[in-house]
Order: sequence, then structure tokens, then C-alpha cells
Amino acid sequence: MEDKVIFHIDINHCYAQIEEMKYPELRFIPMAVGGHEEKRHGIILAKNDLAKKAGIKTGESLREAYEKCPDLLIIPPAYNDYIYYSHEIRKLYQEYTDHVEPFGLDEAWLDFTGSQLIYGDPCMTAGRIQQRVLQEFGLTVSVGISWNKAFAKLGSDLKKPSGMTVITRDNYKKIVWPLPASDLLYVGYATEKKLRSRGVYTIGQLANYPVRWLKESMGIAGEVISAFANGEDRSNVAETFFRTPVKSVGNAMTLIHDVNDADELRPAMYVLCEAVASRLKDHDMEGSVISVSARSGGLDWYGKQRKIPQPTNVSEEILKTAMELIEESYDFSIPLRAAGVSVSQLHPWHSKRQLSLFTDEEAYDDALRIDTAMDRIRSRYGFYSVRRACTLIDRPLTEFDPKGDHTVYPIGYFRGRKLSDGII
Amino acid sequence: MELYKRYVDVILMQKRTGDITPMYLIWENGQKYKIDKVLSRERRASPVGGCGMRYVCLIQGNRRNLYQEKDKWFIESHQP
Repeated sequence: MEDKVIFHIDINHCYAQIEEMKYPELRFIPMAVGGHEEKRHGIILAKNDLAKKAGIKTGESLREAYEKCPDLLIIPPAYNDYIYYSHEIRKLYQEYTDHVEPFGLDEAWLDFTGSQLIYGDPCMTAGRIQQRVLQEFGLTVSVGISWNKAFAKLGSDLKKPSGMTVITRDNYKKIVWPLPASDLLYVGYATEKKLRSRGVYTIGQLANYPVRWLKESMGIAGEVISAFANGEDRSNVAETFFRTPVKSVGNAMTLIHDVNDADELRPAMYVLCEAVASRLKDHDMEGSVISVSARSGGLDWYGKQRKIPQPTNVSEEILKTAMELIEESYDFSIPLRAAGVSVSQLHPWHSKRQLSLFTDEEAYDDALRIDTAMDRIRSRYGFYSVRRACTLIDRPLTEFDPKGDHTVYPIGYFRGRKLSDGII
Repeated sequence: MELYKRYVDVILMQKRTGDITPMYLIWENGQKYKIDKVLSRERRASPVGGCGMRYVCLIQGNRRNLYQEKDKWFIESHQP
């Protein structure tokens, strides 16, 4: 079979570059896009070249960043703009192929195999795409071209900004194999540590390491990374309109202040559960497993989940189980800093419900009606137009809109597909 | 020449086909300028910041670049 031609295109330090495009004067000062410090999720999300020169790293706290570079300008993220421009740029990619698979906001794979007949030489076309994104959006992108997705992604990381790297069957041993194993997709911190303990530091060493051992110590993931290292990743670039089926719906929040007991936490959990319930209804789903996660001030995570007898998408019911789980899993000896709720094992939502002898169906109907009415009022008049009385006790704690404030892009390489679907 | 980004009010014609043509632009002081001709329409990034659909317009014999940036319009002005 003929090799595929796959592009991986990466918008260089995306959020920071979009801010520079909007306000060109930012190019001349060290600048970073960062979370809100007062809302306590203050980390650097992206930085420009001058900030990078000053040693600023993505993911570090705003305080650390200011220590390194007191003149650093921090801009709060404008997610709506980032989403808008990244979608517009994706539309440009779609002029060249109907297989455009986004990976987060700033990256995408394009399968150019079939498009060669129309557009000709892949490198020329990739160059043309780079030129157009610069001309039309004022942004630089780097491109990796290879016969598989894993190497294409590696390639786009090698030369920045505006770089282009072609990795072929003839040159991959020279280009890819000397790179550290952690550069490879799917080799995270834990995997890297395991590999190191066996003396595997580079992708080349990984490629030549016996698969049997990798499989024994890491299971199927071991086989996957070995295949990636050898260029045997055969996964397809998803078609443009492919949507991963939703598997779970959840929201989490770092609280504006630490809370000391379950009663204090309850109103904030209400807001989270309302958001989850409302999103479930938007998807026409209900779920029967409820999970909670909690993070202490010491930054340790606790989590617990439970299967409930009847699937639900009603906030009252989700809250009841979620609070039980929190109380069982967290003793509040250290104040709680962040909490999350999610619902999984989703089924299509049938408005007909299996009646049970032991549940109060009238209470369920009432709770559902309240949820639906609140959702309708909020969709028309805004999130804060209606709220539960209990959320008024501690306004700062409950003044957040988990559904509207954040667009979360849950991304995973396999995007809901199974390994058996022919990824490798 | 140094250019400045100035958001402006715009009077548009939207045709049955969905196409948009800017007809007049209105400066901050209320002065209305007729756009005599749209010379080109392309997606472009602007040197004054921002990007969008760029309409190169002829206004009283002068060429000016007018941009539709998301849902707003700005001009690369020669006046600060």
C-alpha cells in the first residue's frame, strides 16, 4: 500500500501569538497569557518570544514568572477569540482536504494523501498554507510532514516558528531516533521514568527495545509507543466532521476560598451539579455513575464514584449522591480547595422512566421541572438571572458559571476509538 | 506612513445572495463618507493589529483599507 502524506500543523505559542496579532505592540515586550491570580488558577498558559528569553515557562505560577521577569505583562485569556480564530484557520485547512483532525485549539492533522492529485507537491502546498495563515491571520505555524501521525507531530515541533520538517522513510532514523523518548506522542512523565530505568533515553533506543518487555511493563501502551517509535502508527486522520461520542460529562472548579466542611461546600457543589445536569440534557443523555473529585489545600486529589440504581440528569439527584461521596472520601482535616463532579455510563435520555417502589417519583418530577425551568430562564436571560437560594449564603463561592465560562476540549489521541479499531 | 486602528460605524448593503458591501463609513465626529468603490475583498491580517475580511475602498479618491473583524469594522486610518 502506498504511504500516506500527513501534515501536522501547529500554531506557534497559540494564545500569545493571537494576542500579538490583535495588539502588535505586545511583540516588543515580554508578555504571557495567564489565568486569573485572584481566582487562584494563576498559571502561565502561553508566552511570547521575549518572555521565553526571560526564562518564563508554560505551566508555572504567575508568582514564579514575576520573580524571573518583573516587567512581564500578563494578559487574561480571551478564550472566545482563541476558539474563533482557531476555527477560522481550520476552515482554511479544510480547503485542502476533508480530513482535518484538530488536537486541541492550536494543532491539527491533515491527511493530504488524496489531495496530492489536485494540489501537487506536499511541501509546496504546506508552504502555501503557512504563507496564507500568515497573510490572512497574521500568525506563524510550523508544519511536520510524514507518512504517519506520530512523526508528523514530532516534525512540527522541530523548527519554530514557521518551520517545516519532512520525515521520510529514508531520513527518520537520522532525524527522529536521536530525539529524547519524551518527545514522542504518548510518552509522558511516568512512562519516561520507566523507560529510563531500563536505559532507554532516545526514540531510537525505544524503537529497538524488545516489544515483549514494553508490553509486560506497560501493557498495550508499551506496544503503542514502540510502534510509534518505529513509524508504524497507522491511525487515520479523522474526517473533518467526526465527533467523538460523549462518554462522560463533568465540571470541576478551584474554589474562590478553601472550605472547611461539607455544609460550606454544598452550595458550590449545587452550581457544579446544575451545570453537569444541564449539559447532560443538552446532549439528550442521562448517566448512572456519579464521580466526585476533591483536591485539598495540600494539592492531593481524592476521588470516588458510585453507580446509582436509576440513570439521571437531574441536578438534585446528582448532588445528593455527590455530597454522599464527598463526605465519605474527604474528612476536611485539611481545607478543601477544588472539587469536581462528573456523570458517566451515559444512555440516551428517555423521558419515560422505570418506576421504582423505593423512590419518590413526585420529587423526581418536581426536581426535573425546576431544572428545566431554570435552564430555560438562563438560556434567555443569562446564567445569573436565576439561582438557588442556598447559593446566596456565600456569594463569592458560588459566583461562577461552569457551563458558560469554560469551553473544555477533552482531547485524547484515540478519541473514543479502541486500539482494536486499527490504530496500530 | 504610520497607520492607526480606528473602529468605525459602517452602513452596509446586504444582498439577497448574502454578500455584504460597505456603502458608507461614519467617523467618530459623525461625518459620513461615501465609499465610492470596493476595489478588492480578501481575508487579511492588518499591520495595525487584528485580521478579518479586508475591503480595499476608494473614498473621495483615496484608497483605504476597511476590515470586518468578527462583528466589528475598523479602518487603517492615516489620522491618529
